[in-house]
Amino acid sequence: MKRLAGLIIVLLIVLTVSCYVSRMVPPQKNLHPLGEFYLQNSYFGRYSAKSPEAVTSIVWDYRGVDTLFETAVFFLAIIGSLTLFRLNKGQAEEAKRGEPKLELPGPVATVTKVTVAMILAVSASIALHGQLTPGGGFQGGSALAVAPLLIIAVYTKYALEKNGLDKTRAIIIRSIGLLGIALTALVPLLLGGYIMQNQPIFPAKALGVPLGGSLVFYNFFEYLAVGAGFTAVFLLLSIPEEKFRKFLGVRR
Amino acid sequence: MIAVHLAILSITALIGLVFSYLAITERDLLKAVAYSAVQAIAYAIIFYLLMAPDIVLAYVAIAVGIYSALLIFVIGKTGRYEVV
Amino acid sequence: MILLLWSFTLISLLATLVISVYGIVAKPNLVKKLIALTIFGDTANVLMVLLGYRLIYPVVPPILPSLSKTALGEFVKTAVDPLPQALVLTAVVIGMAVNVLIAFAIVQVHRLYGTVDARKVGEMLAAFGRGEK
Repeated sequence: MKRLAGLIIVLLIVLTVSCYVSRMVPPQKNLHPLGEFYLQNSYFGRYSAKSPEAVTSIVWDYRGVDTLFETAVFFLAIIGSLTLFRLNKGQAEEAKRGEPKLELPGPVATVTKVTVAMILAVSASIALHGQLTPGGGFQGGSALAVAPLLIIAVYTKYALEKNGLDKTRAIIIRSIGLLGIALTALVPLLLGGYIMQNQPIFPAKALGVPLGGSLVFYNFFEYLAVGAGFTAVFLLLSIPEEKFRKFLGVRR
Repeated sequence: MIAVHLAILSITALIGLVFSYLAITERDLLKAVAYSAVQAIAYAIIFYLLMAPDIVLAYVAIAVGIYSALLIFVIGKTGRYEVV
Repeated sequence: MILLLWSFTLISLLATLVISVYGIVAKPNLVKKLIALTIFGDTANVLMVLLGYRLIYPVVPPILPSLSKTALGEFVKTAVDPLPQALVLTAVVIGMAVNVLIAFAIVQVHRLYGTVDARKVGEMLAAFGRGEK
């Protein structure tokens, strides 16, 4: 009851303040000049990224260095999580010991398999069409991370590990993605350009499809890095708590 | 026509406000996660109405899928009820 | 009418921001603090995208509909600003990774102290500092 009263008070305050503010809020009908520059130049124009998708071309070309350091923050956050749950060799072996849950009712197994296959296909298409349609590495990677999560929820994590996707492999895939991003950023330096340069250096088109120069490479590698990073984290998080208590010697 | 668009936008923002209030005042943490997932769906609709399809693609997977699963794992490892 | 609806959207998002700050500050449970922190981050992201919106009717996303130069003029007249969207896009995913780190820290606190109540953890830390136990 007290909660409801608080909610009604909050709503009344919001309504009053918005009536008062509505006379002085500016009607924003125009673009900012910088946004107009990006819209004009993302495919045509002199400073073009050769991609019709303005958001992806800002993320990986115009504001590319910003995204590079955001990826560094992502790297550090995942490394920090893995370090907090670090196990030595014997403990890691013991954490892997367990049986996948295989006796499921028929529809559950079928629906899970179909959904996982669909998630993999859709996320790859989101990531690889990122320079043409809405999508890109970050979106595709976060969609990809849902698939192992679904398998963990249905079959437990031992099923993933039995089929070859354990924590070490996930970290290796993630490192390949991050290395690819770093190499794609450094290639223009070798060819006499500046760091993260896109246009004259990378091809703008292949087989009649606009590639957006380096955007397609960045999208692919970021897809691997984000998807595998979250997968590694969830493989660690789904280790049962009793095993961790035994490793740490906590008796509570 | 623009008024209809903005009316849907403001109603969705209101739903986000109500459900985040419920999520923060709730004692049962699992229910709080469910309320915050509803708030995330409302925000995904807001992003769609604000003409940001890129963010919708990332936000739906992150906020409804990964984030809810993460919090359910954490609640399973710590404790379900909040003591005040 | 249009400005009233627009300011109602703005003010309810700001109110969500205030409520989530209350949740971060006042609730003792660390998991509840994490939920409030996530709501805070999401609301800040929505407010950031609102900066780039335009109050006109035929409004389109910042993606070129066809690869011809004649469509460009009409497109620039109706498209929203892409820059806030690009900044928010990375912030959503990176914010999730940082939340994962915070969640792992909370689980570790629960393993070491047996509780996720910030007040009890503070007391136990103080007792530990005085040399008891």
